[in-house]
Amino acid sequence: MNYVIEAQGLTKRYKRTIAVDNIDLRIPEGRIVGLIGPNGAGKTSALKAILGLATYEGQLSVLDKDPAKDRAALMEDVCFIADVAVLPRWIRVWQLIELTQDIHPKFSREKCLEYLASTKITMDHKVKQLSKGMVAQLHLAIVMAIDVKLLVLDEPTLGLDILYRKQFYTSLLNDYFDEQRTIVITTHQVEEVEHILSDLIFIQDGRIALHSSMDEVQERYVELMAAPDHAMAARDLEPLYERELFGRHIFLFENADREQLRALGELHTPNVADLFVATMSRGES
Amino acid sequence: MNRLPALIKREFWENKGALRTTPVVIGGLYIVVLLMSIITFQHFDNDFQSLKEAIAYLAQSDVELRNKIIHQSTMIGSFLFSLVLAFVVFFYLLGSLYDDRKDRSILFWKSLPASDTLTLVSKLLTAMVVAPFIFWVIYVITHITIMLISSIVVLALGENPWTLFLGIGNPFKGWSMVLVSYMCQSIWALPLYGWLMLVSAFAPRIPLLFATLPPVVFAVLQIWIEFLQTFTLKNNLFGVIGQWFANSPLIISADDHGKNDFGVALGIPVTSTFDHEVTVANMLDRLFSSQMLIGLVMATVFLAGALWLRHRATES
Repeated sequence: MNYVIEAQGLTKRYKRTIAVDNIDLRIPEGRIVGLIGPNGAGKTSALKAILGLATYEGQLSVLDKDPAKDRAALMEDVCFIADVAVLPRWIRVWQLIELTQDIHPKFSREKCLEYLASTKITMDHKVKQLSKGMVAQLHLAIVMAIDVKLLVLDEPTLGLDILYRKQFYTSLLNDYFDEQRTIVITTHQVEEVEHILSDLIFIQDGRIALHSSMDEVQERYVELMAAPDHAMAARDLEPLYERELFGRHIFLFENADREQLRALGELHTPNVADLFVATMSRGES
Repeated sequence: MNRLPALIKREFWENKGALRTTPVVIGGLYIVVLLMSIITFQHFDNDFQSLKEAIAYLAQSDVELRNKIIHQSTMIGSFLFSLVLAFVVFFYLLGSLYDDRKDRSILFWKSLPASDTLTLVSKLLTAMVVAPFIFWVIYVITHITIMLISSIVVLALGENPWTLFLGIGNPFKGWSMVLVSYMCQSIWALPLYGWLMLVSAFAPRIPLLFATLPPVVFAVLQIWIEFLQTFTLKNNLFGVIGQWFANSPLIISADDHGKNDFGVALGIPVTSTFDHEVTVANMLDRLFSSQMLIGLVMATVFLAGALWLRHRATES
């Protein structure tokens, strides 16, 4: 299997804190990976190491290159959106397209114009005249017109309204993603990306708390909505996490006997957000 | 690969106001002043009654002297361009590695496959070659326009502009002198350019302060300590910088150097061993001096530091 990202003992230290703590990670091609963690968990630090934007300790290879040494060469096959609205504010749309075309060998002007045609952005617009959502659209149009193997999106939709966010992920999935490409996304809005992810990585205190495919997640985890009188019985089966909703108790189980649980109430597939909360609270205790 | 031209194009687009509009405004200023002085000539307190008389007098003057004056005024006409160019380049470099860190667009630029070294080179070349060249082109266009306007005025007053001034001087000589001085100055100024880029890559905010405060504090301390010890003011950083500036191969003064003769000189006269005459040899003399060698070493250190910082600009 071809791995797009391979890390061994990846560590990132700042003066006093360890942002990424000895991570081992392998991401094969053709996946859409959600990198999810609370603020300050080390997501951005890990991504910066992967993109050659920061130094690190340990072994790291992205598309068989060392990102810290070969950022420029790596960027021919990797593209990223690190945060919303980081396009230069002084630039005009046509200038941005011309520069990207001159600098990036894998940029297709036609594709970019095609994506832009469906927006209200014109060639003569300056970036500073565009709304935040339009800047994100423009950036996505540029990025999607670049034929790369790995796309990294670090909070690409932060601060955008729901219409732009939906549209952003829809175009990404429909017009961009294919078997040869890998996308890594970090976001706080887990519920918006969970249906497009193929893999899930939870990161907590600089360590990986969970790394599994979405299919595995569905096999491994089950949520039980127990009637009040069955709550005690469910608790005895050692759930990962318990919460209460409208007087009903909801338990999250890992590798549990589903037949046994079914007797106690309704079974559901847990959503990523609930799984995340459960995993994080287990990590803290 | 056309990455370097693309990066330089980016610098031009981003700094169009400073690199293109500014010299155009200076050229316009020269032309407006020329037109105003033609119109108001008769009101000047002057030996001549009219412009017509003045031109007639000039037409009879010594051809050689006229030639010299035309050549030297060609060069001294570049003064305003040179002065403003220095300011433009100073502030351009001060912002060169700072602005995109401030507005975070560095994250976009670093997502393109252009190395930090190439980015740095594109900015340095913009300061050393592109900016002076644009200023020079507009200076030449301004000069041609001025000659055209003067010719029309002279023609209208019944004299022949060709025998009066067009035919006797070679403007290309003066123009190329100015261009050579700009290019020599770019090399001479490398330690300053390196320092400005280093500060630009380093300053967390207000790069102007970080560029000027350390040398000022250092020099003041130097002067103070020197004064406490010896009650004299010997060499200090201010002196070194002043000397460096005085030795620049820029055409920046017009005086007679005690020769009772109108002349154009390189820099401010500092030594009796150097005549400061504007010749290519005198300009190159500065570039092959031991001072220049020290300057190049400093520039290399500063630029290497700027590159190191640029590489780590996205760390936190």
